[in-house]
Amino acid sequence: MKIITNTDNLTKYKIYIDVKKSVIDFLNKKNYLEVDLPILSPSLIPESYLEVFETDFRYLSQKEKLYLTPSPELFLKRLLSYGIKDCFYLGKSFRNSDPSSTLHSFEFMMLEFYKTKTDYWGIADELLEMLGYVSRHLSADKSGAGKSKTITYQGQKISLGQWEKISVADAFEKYAGIKEKELFDQKAFINKAEKKGYRSKGFGYEDLWSQIYTSEIEPNLGVNGYPTLIYDYPKEFAALAKLNPDGKTSQRFEFYVAGIELGDCYTELTDWKEQSIRFEQEDIKRKKAGKTGHTVDKGFIEALKYGLVDCSGVAVGFERLAMIFADARSIKEIKLIDIE
Amino acid sequence: MRTNAGNLKKGEFVKYQNEIWQIQKADFYSPGKGSALMKTKIKNILSGKNIDYTFKSNEQVETLDVESIEMQFLYKDAENLYFMDERTYNQYPVPLQIVGEVASFIKEGDKIYVYLSNEKALNIRPPMSVRLKVVETEEAVKGDTVSGAKKPAKLETGVTIMVPLFVKAGEVILVNPETGTYSERVKT
Repeated sequence: MKIITNTDNLTKYKIYIDVKKSVIDFLNKKNYLEVDLPILSPSLIPESYLEVFETDFRYLSQKEKLYLTPSPELFLKRLLSYGIKDCFYLGKSFRNSDPSSTLHSFEFMMLEFYKTKTDYWGIADELLEMLGYVSRHLSADKSGAGKSKTITYQGQKISLGQWEKISVADAFEKYAGIKEKELFDQKAFINKAEKKGYRSKGFGYEDLWSQIYTSEIEPNLGVNGYPTLIYDYPKEFAALAKLNPDGKTSQRFEFYVAGIELGDCYTELTDWKEQSIRFEQEDIKRKKAGKTGHTVDKGFIEALKYGLVDCSGVAVGFERLAMIFADARSIKEIKLIDIE
Repeated sequence: MRTNAGNLKKGEFVKYQNEIWQIQKADFYSPGKGSALMKTKIKNILSGKNIDYTFKSNEQVETLDVESIEMQFLYKDAENLYFMDERTYNQYPVPLQIVGEVASFIKEGDKIYVYLSNEKALNIRPPMSVRLKVVETEEAVKGDTVSGAKKPAKLETGVTIMVPLFVKAGEVILVNPETGTYSERVKT
């Protein structure tokens, strides 16, 4: 790897900084508390698809493992359980095994905010308002005139005034020709994937699902003049989200502009028993996949036992968000210094 | 040879659905649900057709063992470009539809690397840059000093590209043949 200096990116970098300022400004106005957090932690939430960075704290002959946090969730939910209300973190997160690409970097800026007493639809409204706020802020001249909720990204006009909403089930039917029955039945889904020509040998439902989702669904999201909000993912992808009463889907949405995923939102699971079962399953999957074994954050479950209020939160890939406003094709284009 | 799709790089050849494809673009992507993926654009070496295909990054893919040999570009006709290995005098046709736009930037006599597999030429390896003479372009209008302004220029291979206003007919320039973009003037 090497250090790359890109002063040619100054114009786009300044837009990134403006997006950052206006997002913080918006959240402050909405009474979210900005929280600064550690990025090194002695324990983590087990997430089967994430690989982590580990290091040691050393003192004399003692050594203790520490991990760079792949998301601030473990800290923010503790705060929510112990009485802090609406809050946000905008700072670094780390994901190992993510090589540098147009949309990925192993070190990245994450915006995560939580709102209490609401579900994912409450966050959807807040998020849309935030996108509009940023756009108006960026397009305003000194007198405040010329404010616009419409942006142009790579030649496509996108109005940030409303969502295009589609459920995961409707999207699979519409864009991939996969019926709801097949989508939620693992065997039927794998058969369908094989018929479509995907190689299934050695791969499970979740792998094939994400391959089809990426190749056939994502290119259609956020391309019809509005950002797209795609909601209700199969329970296999519930992670830390609450399930819907149907038992098949979870209260999770992601949002897209021009086929690019910008963020991921859950109605947060508050049931500690259910959460500890999911943690155990994720931990087993991590071990099977040969991922770095890390200490599971038991304090997180303790915090949930203490009582997490009904809340919903969203995680936004901040470089990706800024990239849309800067009309950049890659997150590399908005950085002055990059490692790759 | 087999490798994980996550290791695929631009320029490599893979066997996929019993046909040979060349990787045009490979970009890592992790949707955070299910396996990490490799989003690729691949070109079919028989038809020249490009498709987008997303591999699972830990999926095994068969790559083709190829040699790249420096050859002399002899000539082209309506279908092929012809190259000669100067050590063996063997000639190899490479279909125009596989080489694509790059063909408009190489001239007879150029030394170009050609990818060979089982004595069959699959494609050329486009040079990083090519030196070409400007044969026709308008003189820049005095006073037109907008920075970054461009004008069309016809090059010795017959192709027209956009160049900065200060470039004159008769000068030699460096061009990236893959993107068809001007990089700099060469002092002759």
